[in-house]
Amino acid sequence: MTTMPQEERVRFTADASTSRWVVARPWVKVVAVVMIASFFAFPLYWVVSMSFKPRPEWNPPGKVYWAPQSPTIDNYTNLLGLKSTEDSVFATQRSASALTPFKNSIILSVGGTLLALFAGIVTAYGIARFRAGGGLLPFQILQLRMFPPVAIIIPLLFFYVAIKLYDTYWGVIILYGAITFPFVVWLMRSFFQDVPREISEAAIVDGCTQWGAFFKAVLPQVKGGLAATGLFVFILNWSDFLIAKVMTTDVHSTAPVYLQSLQGGASGNEYGLQAALACLLILPPAIFGLAIQRYLVRGLTFGAIKR
Amino acid sequence: MAGIRLENITKRFGAITALDGVSFEVADGEFFAILGPPGAGKTTTLRTIVGLEKPDEGDVYLGGERVTETYPGDRDIAIVFQNLALYPDRTVFKNLAFPLKQQKIAKGEIEERVRATARTLRIEHLLERRPAKLSGGERQRVALGRAIVREPEAYLLDEPISALDALLRLEMRTELKRLQRDVGRTMIYVTHDQVEAMSMADRILVLREGVVQQVGAPAEIYHRPANRFVATVVGSPPMNFLRATASWEEGTLRVSHPRFQVAAAAAHLRERLPEGAACLVAVRPEDVRVELAGEGMPATIYATEPLGGETIVDLNLDNRVVKAIASPALALSEDQEVRVHFEPRRLHLFAESGDALLSAAGEDVFAFTLAT
Ligand SMILES: Nc1ncnc2c1ncn2[C@@H]1O[C@H](COP(=O)(O)OP(=O)(O)OP(=O)(O)O)[C@@H](O)[C@H]1O
Ligand SMILES: [Mg+2]
Repeated sequence: MTTMPQEERVRFTADASTSRWVVARPWVKVVAVVMIASFFAFPLYWVVSMSFKPRPEWNPPGKVYWAPQSPTIDNYTNLLGLKSTEDSVFATQRSASALTPFKNSIILSVGGTLLALFAGIVTAYGIARFRAGGGLLPFQILQLRMFPPVAIIIPLLFFYVAIKLYDTYWGVIILYGAITFPFVVWLMRSFFQDVPREISEAAIVDGCTQWGAFFKAVLPQVKGGLAATGLFVFILNWSDFLIAKVMTTDVHSTAPVYLQSLQGGASGNEYGLQAALACLLILPPAIFGLAIQRYLVRGLTFGAIKR
Repeated sequence: MAGIRLENITKRFGAITALDGVSFEVADGEFFAILGPPGAGKTTTLRTIVGLEKPDEGDVYLGGERVTETYPGDRDIAIVFQNLALYPDRTVFKNLAFPLKQQKIAKGEIEERVRATARTLRIEHLLERRPAKLSGGERQRVALGRAIVREPEAYLLDEPISALDALLRLEMRTELKRLQRDVGRTMIYVTHDQVEAMSMADRILVLREGVVQQVGAPAEIYHRPANRFVATVVGSPPMNFLRATASWEEGTLRVSHPRFQVAAAAAHLRERLPEGAACLVAVRPEDVRVELAGEGMPATIYATEPLGGETIVDLNLDNRVVKAIASPALALSEDQEVRVHFEPRRLHLFAESGDALLSAAGEDVFAFTLAT
């Protein structure tokens, strides 16, 4: 952990006059940080505050409510189908509650992430440790990411219908896994490369099998990288809209698709409900992130530290 | 019981031939050193013995049994890697316990053996720490411990102490020697430091670019180097080589240098050293005697390196640098004229190709006369 203190870095990189300015006036830095942070935090604030606003405060003509005037949790209860208020009378187009899409989102994202992690880790280790598939394989895998999913989603739809994977959990899980697989391979490969091969060899000489050495000696060294990769891939899958929209109907559809149904059509724009759902959607990645925070800091800075 | 034998091992990495027809045998319980410069193939030799590299040609035998295809974990050989390869996520205790756990040994016995090993290596107080929190010397001991705790048939150590500072290296040297005597198992010790090899090993193998140069006891390597490479690798400062010309009188070889002549009864060399052939007379700095005056060969002092107990002197002898070790009592200084003697019982004769032809090795082999 040898990152230079901020001041030092400024002194080395900027010219003398700038550095004196920055170093001599720490409050300049504080003000700058506060400004930048507020700029990025404001949308989040807006969504959270909107989720507690009653319908009349959502988007009144010629008026802006910077904070809820009469805060309410109606948006949440309504969204989760706990209470049917007159507000939701218009909302006939959407399915009764956000619960099913939310559950689907979790099943599909977790499933896709686990699939990508498993296949990706094994592939990455093979490439990093045994040069499996030759020098080009990593790039061939990366190539999977070179064209946008939208380019193949329609042919794939016909294909899926034909092999009866359309509108199934497995169908989407496989797609999520396949699309995030290259990320896992590339991230994990570099983490595996940081582990000296003598570590796995020591385990082999000590009596482990090749697999045993991988699980007992190598994998524990990349816990941080694994956690970071898992979170990254989970967020990608969690925020997918296109695949779920095309490949599923209501039964297996996900929360982002549901979010879109809260807009337009007969019901108009249900800003409060959308905001409430957005707030709920933030929770799983946030919880996941907090749970693995201990590993995350190490994982994200992994390659940077010279040990 | 668990000697190690390599038979004609060749190992290639693409275009590089890391080992080229390497054969040698290590006796059971022997302390065997492999000495060679970086890239000589020392690590590759160890990796082949333990089974992490599969040789392209040749076979490995352990205790008389061919193990060339045996899985590393089934060979009962422990290796300490050049970079130690401790498990960073495990405590010292768990690092030591790891190989025992793989053998499905009972918990109580594991505990007992780990503690006993830790006691031997004096790392008992470190058992709950992780490798990152240890000093270089302590890590070294833990890596050794992980090898010892298994009680394997043989240990392979890859430059185990080269990363330590000089003082600690000295300490570990004697300690390792003791340890090997105590456990009494075969040990192959890889190093690029000739002092380590000379001071610790029963026998030394000198390796260069994947080819075995010589195998022998330290004294043999020192007194009868097989070629110029071995002669240069062992001893510090290295041996002096002086160009000379061979001539024959019956069965007597006469080698002439502008400053001296060396004669030896060596009829067997007649074929290899024809009349008028160039050859090299060699002498170690410690066998060059410097005097202020007298009968010896005239030389000028080019430079001096006082080391306290002795002084290394670079002499200009017939426009060639000859290194000598002299007593500081002589108070030599640059450009001074001195007289030089070679110890005839320590002379060596090398062919121009570098192969050794004749070494005195303490015997009266050579007759040395000054040029007139
Ligand atoms: N896995 C490998 N792939 C390609 N070349 C290799 C490999 N391992 C070793 N070599 C080459 O084989 C030769 C011998 O290497 P080796 O590591 O055995 O030398 P060494 O004597 O242990 O050197 P050092 O003192 O630097 O550790 C070197 O030229 C090295 O570059
Ligand atoms: Mg080496």
